[in-house]
Amino acid sequence: MREREEPQSGSAVAGRNPDSWRVGLSRFVSVIPHTRDLGLEVEEVSPPWVRMCLPWRDELLGDIDRGLVHGGVLTMLLDTACGSAVLCGLPAPEVCPTLDLRVDHYRPAVAGLAIRAEARVVRVTASMVFTEGTLWQEPGRAIARGVGNFVRLGARNTPPGFGEALFGEADHA
Amino acid sequence: MHEGFRDVAWLARTHAEGNVAAWLERLPYARLIGVSATPDEEGEGLIYQLEPREFNVGNILLPALHGGVVAAFMETAGTLDLMLSAREPRLPRIVDFSIDYLRTARVVPTHARCRLLREGRRLANVQVTAWQESEDQPVATARLHLVLGALEPNDA
Repeated sequence: MREREEPQSGSAVAGRNPDSWRVGLSRFVSVIPHTRDLGLEVEEVSPPWVRMCLPWRDELLGDIDRGLVHGGVLTMLLDTACGSAVLCGLPAPEVCPTLDLRVDHYRPAVAGLAIRAEARVVRVTASMVFTEGTLWQEPGRAIARGVGNFVRLGARNTPPGFGEALFGEADHA
Repeated sequence: MHEGFRDVAWLARTHAEGNVAAWLERLPYARLIGVSATPDEEGEGLIYQLEPREFNVGNILLPALHGGVVAAFMETAGTLDLMLSAREPRLPRIVDFSIDYLRTARVVPTHARCRLLREGRRLANVQVTAWQESEDQPVATARLHLVLGALEPNDA
């Protein structure tokens, strides 16, 4: 088993500063149609940790009468944030589908406020990446927490140039 | 207000009619991703649908639906199905949600069926299964815990 106790910086991570990761993950969420169309922003990256911001729009509501955000928006946001943490938490970016995700809803998310997501990789093994994420609208008042596990498909199942494409360096392929 | 979730009479009427479409009207994000419900032709209850919109794509290489959108679809289905099959008109609020991804969800129509495993006085447990081509090859299963809110007559 080539397991590691703590997520570490590998070759592809070591050469990147937080700002280039922010640019790379911004490119990642702007290539995904769903997060691009919702205007999701990557605010800060410090591998294996990310912070994102989903700007407010009325379509995020799940109950127009009570002015509450749709719980599914929060699940989608946690999946995206945890998945982005995975990309920057591996020695080199790999394609890692979500195996499962669990979301606890601490308090309702309300209309009119942006939703922020923080996520980090907790542990990397040869086959899995374990993550956790938190959402809030006002600092210190978590609206939801998620725990997501991602499967490592490995370098063999990751398209050549995947990591380079993330950083906009794919032209030599 | 004479319509909507805060209007007790409206909620009672739509509950009695089984008018899930009226509830969906008031869920903007569910409409944004394209959720609908139709009667199950081969049984009782409803089958829920998620439209294969470009907006719902989460992986352009495969391509595949965004796992979070599939989750939002299943949470919507589970919540609406609980409101429909609850003994009385109730307003559920989600407590926690868990989803297992079983197969890649392609950009084709996705369906879901729900089972209300328990409806207590305060809490409900709903199981949701989603599939695409064949119901015996699910793309995901999900589980919801919801608190059943009491209706306040003066809330309207």
